Amino acid sequence: MAKIIVITSGKGGVGKTTSSASFATGLAMRGHKTVVIDFDVGLRNLDLIMGCERRVVYDLINVVSGEATLRQALIKDKHCENLFILPASQTRDKDALVEEGVERVLNELIKMDFEYIICDSPAGIEHGAIMALTFADEAIIVTNPEVSSVRDSDRILGIIQAKSRRALNGGEPVKEHLLITRYSPKRVDAGEMLSHQDVQEILRIPLVGIIPESEAVLHASNQGSPAIHIKGSQVSLAYEDVVGRFLGEELPFRFMDYEKPSLIKRFFGAR
Amino acid sequence: MQTISQRNPIEIKISTVVAIAVILHDANLSVLAAALKKLTANSSDYYSEECAVIDVANIDCTALDWPALIGLFKSSGFHPVAIRHAPEACEVQIAQLGLSIDLGSKVAQSAEKIVAQVVAEPVTELVAATSSLPPMVIDTPVRGGQRIYARGRDLIITAVVNSGAEVIADGNIHIYAPLRGRALAGASGNTAARIFTMGLEAELVSIAGIYRTFEHGYPSLAPQMPVQIKLDGDKIDVVSIQSSN
Repeated sequence: MAKIIVITSGKGGVGKTTSSASFATGLAMRGHKTVVIDFDVGLRNLDLIMGCERRVVYDLINVVSGEATLRQALIKDKHCENLFILPASQTRDKDALVEEGVERVLNELIKMDFEYIICDSPAGIEHGAIMALTFADEAIIVTNPEVSSVRDSDRILGIIQAKSRRALNGGEPVKEHLLITRYSPKRVDAGEMLSHQDVQEILRIPLVGIIPESEAVLHASNQGSPAIHIKGSQVSLAYEDVVGRFLGEELPFRFMDYEKPSLIKRFFGAR
Repeated sequence: MQTISQRNPIEIKISTVVAIAVILHDANLSVLAAALKKLTANSSDYYSEECAVIDVANIDCTALDWPALIGLFKSSGFHPVAIRHAPEACEVQIAQLGLSIDLGSKVAQSAEKIVAQVVAEPVTELVAATSSLPPMVIDTPVRGGQRIYARGRDLIITAVVNSGAEVIADGNIHIYAPLRGRALAGASGNTAARIFTMGLEAELVSIAGIYRTFEHGYPSLAPQMPVQIKLDGDKIDVVSIQSSN
């Protein structure tokens, strides 16, 4: 049975698209047929991070409004056999994202035997964000360890509880996962950043992963390759852990404690 | 079968509709729009289609653009159902917009008097009945932007109330987790109502309309200590629940 997963946060710039790209890639690398949809109409970015911006012909809005078929709009990922991207429109108005149309697209994707449908939500709590979460079975809440991001995540959790189909139909609620990104154990240690315990204490939903802050992410984005592909990096390992935990594996959390550089390292300036 | 065929297709009973009263103090629509924006924190679902009675007793309605006024409230998430204290000259226009004319307290007061004279005793019974309503119980975190109102009863929350959330009860409020948002007990005027919480980190607490914020920190009790909040005269008191005996 297909699962629809929304990746959302309320606040912008916390790593939704980066996480959507890496999470979807991770699922596909494990052999699951996955599609990732960019709901950020007007400010599309997912295609850049996935490195397929030059192959965009049709987009989500074209499909929603019946101007193109789903097969025409889906872009096959250049690395993974099982991964497809449905880009957002750069030119159209977000009001074109009508609920019936979105539902039809999602149902069609389910009929095409996709196992995981990842909805990359825009920031904010406006129409686009609501559309991204309306049909979700599960939600990954991307949060940075700072108060304004945590507060916005709390707000979006409330909106999921109130506005998702599952909530409106009174069925089983949307399953919530917390993903803390841009985590810097050193800054937590120095008291400059909230710890993951602080974040969990406020949001009170299960933790699915902690992604350490890394310049490698920026570099990967500029290269048009999801961060999970940077082999051997902490970020890539952390995203692989997220996928594993999401699929039900029990994995210990890593990269969340600060290790003071040893004397020798400091001496020789090794990083 | 007979009973079904005998049943009247329409049944008419007296029923009370819960609505909020919106009292206007300015007839300028742009002033009202700005005030609404501030009030609803820019989110059009803040009042989630609550029925509203708009009271225009304090403003001059002669040049008022009624459709624009109603549209303004609708776009802010209100569901206007009636206009209270509308001048007679405007009644036709209001009726054309599909709203009722509410005569406000004039009628209600005289009706109350009659009721009070005729049936003085049953009234106390009614009060007893409403206060014995079972409490409303919430088991999930109350998130920022959410609002819960336990009408005519106590409110019990077994999860956290986060900042930006608002929990309201006509009775007491019990929170078996930290209170970080706003809690308003005794909302319909019960000065004996109290708020209990496992940890006071609230933005605002209020009992029977008397409120207190904590801009300059919380009372010097141990952090994360269970506290109760009650009214002492016209002042909000925060005391530890930990009994000394």
